[in-house]
Amino acid sequence: MSDREIHVFGVRHLSPMGAWQLRAFLDDVQPEVVLIEGLADADELIPDITRKATRPPIAILAYTDSLPVRTLVYPLARYSPEYQALAWAREQRAQVEFIDLPSAVFLGLQDAEFERREKLRAELRETDQEAEPSEPSQAAADASGEDDNSAAPPPAAPPPLEQPRSLYEQMAARAGEADYETYWERHFEHNRARDSYRLASYQFGAALRELEQDTPHWRAENLVREAYMRRRIEEKLADGHAPEKIVAVVGAFHAPVLTREFPAMTDEELASLRRRDSKLTLMPYSYFKLSSQSGYGAGNHAPAYFELLWEALEQNELARLPMQYLSLVTRHLRVSGTHRSTAEVIDGVRLANTLSALKGGLAPTLRDLRDAAVTLIGHGELSTVSESLARVDVGTSVGELPKGVSQTSIQADFERELSRLKLEKYKSVVRQELVLDLRENRRVKTEEAAFLDLRRSSFLHRLRVLEIGFGTLVATGQQSTTWAEKWAVLWGPENEIALVEAVLLGETVELATAYKFKTRLEKCVSIAEAADLVGDACQCGLMNSMELARRRLQELAAESSELAAVAHAAHRLGLIARYGDVRKFDPTPLLPLVEELFVQGALALHNSANCDNQAAKPLVVAMDELNKVGLEYHDRVDEPLWIERLRKLADADDRNPILSGYACAILLERGLIPNEALSREVSRRISPGVPADLGAGWFEGLSQRNRYALLARQPLWEQLGDYVSSLDDEQFRRALVFLRRAFGSFSPQEKRHIAENLGEFWGVHGDTASELIEQPLSEQEEQALGDLNDFDFGDL
Amino acid sequence: MAKKKDSAEAAPNAAATNGAMLRAPAETLYAEELAALQAADKHPRPAGWSMSPRAVLTYICGGKCGSLEITPKYIGHQRLVEIAISTLVTDRALLLIGEPGTAKSWLSEHLSAAINGDSTKVVQGTAGTTEEQIRYTWNYAMLIAHGPSHDALIKSPIFRAMETGSLARFEEITRCASEVQDALISILSEKRLSVPELVTEVPANKGFSVIATANTRDRGVNDMSAALKRRFNIIVLPTPQTLEIEIDIVRKRVQEMAANLELRAELPTEEAIEKVVTIFRELRTGQTLDGKNKLKSPSGVLSTAEAISVLANGMALAGNFGSGEVSPQDLAAGLQGSIVRDEEKDRSVWQEYLSNVLKKRGAEWRPLYNACSEHNA
Repeated sequence: MSDREIHVFGVRHLSPMGAWQLRAFLDDVQPEVVLIEGLADADELIPDITRKATRPPIAILAYTDSLPVRTLVYPLARYSPEYQALAWAREQRAQVEFIDLPSAVFLGLQDAEFERREKLRAELRETDQEAEPSEPSQAAADASGEDDNSAAPPPAAPPPLEQPRSLYEQMAARAGEADYETYWERHFEHNRARDSYRLASYQFGAALRELEQDTPHWRAENLVREAYMRRRIEEKLADGHAPEKIVAVVGAFHAPVLTREFPAMTDEELASLRRRDSKLTLMPYSYFKLSSQSGYGAGNHAPAYFELLWEALEQNELARLPMQYLSLVTRHLRVSGTHRSTAEVIDGVRLANTLSALKGGLAPTLRDLRDAAVTLIGHGELSTVSESLARVDVGTSVGELPKGVSQTSIQADFERELSRLKLEKYKSVVRQELVLDLRENRRVKTEEAAFLDLRRSSFLHRLRVLEIGFGTLVATGQQSTTWAEKWAVLWGPENEIALVEAVLLGETVELATAYKFKTRLEKCVSIAEAADLVGDACQCGLMNSMELARRRLQELAAESSELAAVAHAAHRLGLIARYGDVRKFDPTPLLPLVEELFVQGALALHNSANCDNQAAKPLVVAMDELNKVGLEYHDRVDEPLWIERLRKLADADDRNPILSGYACAILLERGLIPNEALSREVSRRISPGVPADLGAGWFEGLSQRNRYALLARQPLWEQLGDYVSSLDDEQFRRALVFLRRAFGSFSPQEKRHIAENLGEFWGVHGDTASELIEQPLSEQEEQALGDLNDFDFGDL
Repeated sequence: MAKKKDSAEAAPNAAATNGAMLRAPAETLYAEELAALQAADKHPRPAGWSMSPRAVLTYICGGKCGSLEITPKYIGHQRLVEIAISTLVTDRALLLIGEPGTAKSWLSEHLSAAINGDSTKVVQGTAGTTEEQIRYTWNYAMLIAHGPSHDALIKSPIFRAMETGSLARFEEITRCASEVQDALISILSEKRLSVPELVTEVPANKGFSVIATANTRDRGVNDMSAALKRRFNIIVLPTPQTLEIEIDIVRKRVQEMAANLELRAELPTEEAIEKVVTIFRELRTGQTLDGKNKLKSPSGVLSTAEAISVLANGMALAGNFGSGEVSPQDLAAGLQGSIVRDEEKDRSVWQEYLSNVLKKRGAEWRPLYNACSEHNA
């Protein structure tokens, strides 16, 4: 064997200039064998990847076929150097192979990593919660596409406020750039000089390795991978290929060490690696998904922009890119109704060029272009152009695969869940009913079986949220039962399609649901909707989503002072927290929000009560709900504040009288108004000096609660009697209208009781009074009532 | 005007002359730094500039020039300064927009001090500004005696900037009536000013540009016409990025004010500054610093400048009527004043913040919470 080295081309995955330079390099070298950093067992997918009917972005997806599900996504865009290398090899009929570890080993390593992190987290929880493990995967990930699975369970905790600066950020800072993306673009993506990319990225990789102070753990994984890649290169050389006729395309980080100075992996070492059984497939990918996973390796924050860059390279018109970018932004803005002139685009291009020159760059980077767009086209406001920028940066492209190529992980996950939950027999085109009892089944031994129905319910709810129409919730007669559910279950081909589409949201049903929640929350604008989402998340058994929903709800609630919405949300959350235990979840994170909403509601009460009777109706409900929350969680919420606010409202003369009366009723019910104070208040409110509608309105509010307590208070009726008799005819007519409404909702029995009360006061015996009331009307009385009907309601 | 040659002597003199002057222009205050930067500057200078764009950036954002430490004049948003300088390189006019107290005029003054060594060509916009103050007016005695002539012409700062190829500043441009603002349109697009009385046109020399400032709270009062807006590159100056930066700014300014105004009280403790700035930031951004809770924002601006005045006010109270040490009561009075503007609504916003956020912050915050609740009751 010779000592000559093969050609190694270091790239950044998803780098247009890398792809362009790589193709030029391959044309020059004309290798017989192209080796690519990628899952070794994905070789069989290569023909599908380069097929005519395949349209990137696509992704190679590896997943375990057993629980816990671990997945790997390896996205490929049109401008990925790897994709172009595959395409080149196909055109030139060169041999092409993936040479990174096989997926089984990757997933095995991932398993080990999760266990390690779990342990770390547990230790941290014991010592202190302060420093959440700062997700080593992001900071230490090498420039590769394999580690974008950090969203897999257990979902990452909220990132700590300040992450230590990663290797890449350090590199950028040394070059005087604010972020790594800009650094990379400025130094690598604009230079078309022959071989500049390969040589520069080689130096870059070497410098990174020098700087590297990663956790030993990640270093270890990289070393394992590199040793394996060297092993594969050795194999190729052993097959008799000349080293000059082999090109390896790998991440820049790995390029410097793929030489024969370093040992290759031995058979024993390979055998000793932990493995998980895995499956591989291709799946369609989207630019949106690609951009939302931007880390240092996996994602690409502006895929559509990079595609523009790639097209410009292909057409040899790189200099046109700034104009094209800013024109596209402007065009999009115009379509959405904001006019911007061509002159502004011209000045934007000039500004972008100057900004780039200030840093000594060859051409404006995306950051320069964006800043120019904000300054010129947005007139200084990011918000004006942010949507257009997102459209031009990210785009809406979704990849396509030929039929039958994809067997996605979410389908496998779905089947697995069905069998785990013993639901297979329901997967038929015949509609079946499924009744679930969410409570613990105490007659079975395992926990799995004891909560089978609860798990089924969560699963069906998740599918419901994903809009996969497998189960439909059937309303049961007893709405309020929290532990029973009835589902109608039915499977059809359209569900299969919906399921496959859902893989874009996440690799398993659970992940997809969590992602769906996230997007729904981002769109959610009303408090009620957010409260519903909290409930949904609880039903789906997704604690993390519930936490997100809770936060969103808090955000929305903070911005609003709408009493009805706030009170409703507080009440709803209170209920979820109270009855959540059936679903085995921990309500503690909800309680502080209940407290907050309660304070907000209490503070908003007085202002909101300044309204007309129409608007008062929902507020009565709101007050009732808040009061219930107050009673339910009296040890947690700020009840004194609520009472104080109620008193303020009860005493106020300038607020809606119904609400004032209702506040009074609540206080009365809580035993906070002594008899004499009530009498005083009643006589103050219902006195001839007060306009009849106000007095009667107040009484209406007062009488909406605890009627028995009211009925039992004789002094109150005496005052009412005095009041009625003190009115003159005209006033009486007006008052009658309101009193009639106030008493309208009383039951006949209650009315009789009132009549008896009044009768006693007027010296009529109770029985006689009822008799009088129940007697049919005499002609004269009918006449009097008829007169009343002529009453002019116009001024009310 | 700055003396470019003898600035070495000017720096020590500055202290002496500043004694009587309430505030010296930037080019006088920082003459030494400007001279050092100009001397060390190796990069090409655009026409009319006294130093290169990179040197201007160093002057504004701080750094090193040989052995001399350049103090940062504008802390936090270096990128915005880069955009501002690039704008002036491209001969576009620059418009700085921001809430009151976001250092718009400060930045504009230092930009022109660095680029031209002269920050004094200023039009101070008000509702009473007329078109003559932007273009030119006449010495009427001479006009009547000799008729229109170059000698009778009284040039506006913008006119002078065009002649000398330098920067003119236009403060508070949106306070001026729209028709007055529009006098700038043709000046900025054609870069010439016609004087029909003298049958002539004055072309602007290379290096001429305008830096205007405007207040976001003025929006809708005298909106700039679309035509005029189009001639500006617009930069919105944000409030300080992080708590630390804002605390730095506040601490520095409070010290300066205390010395200047001879407030007879001890400087507020680091803790007090942090608390005030925290409250301001949280209410301004409408969320708690940890980002976990959203809050309502009151109607006021709550700028850094106001946080400074709350602390200075607290010192004045403590010095004249209190123990000489800034107590929570002294701060509470100031906080109440700057937060509760539009009586009812702000009061409940403040109350909500007090009971949902401050109350839960534990013993350290308790005295301030109590004092504020008392004031807000």
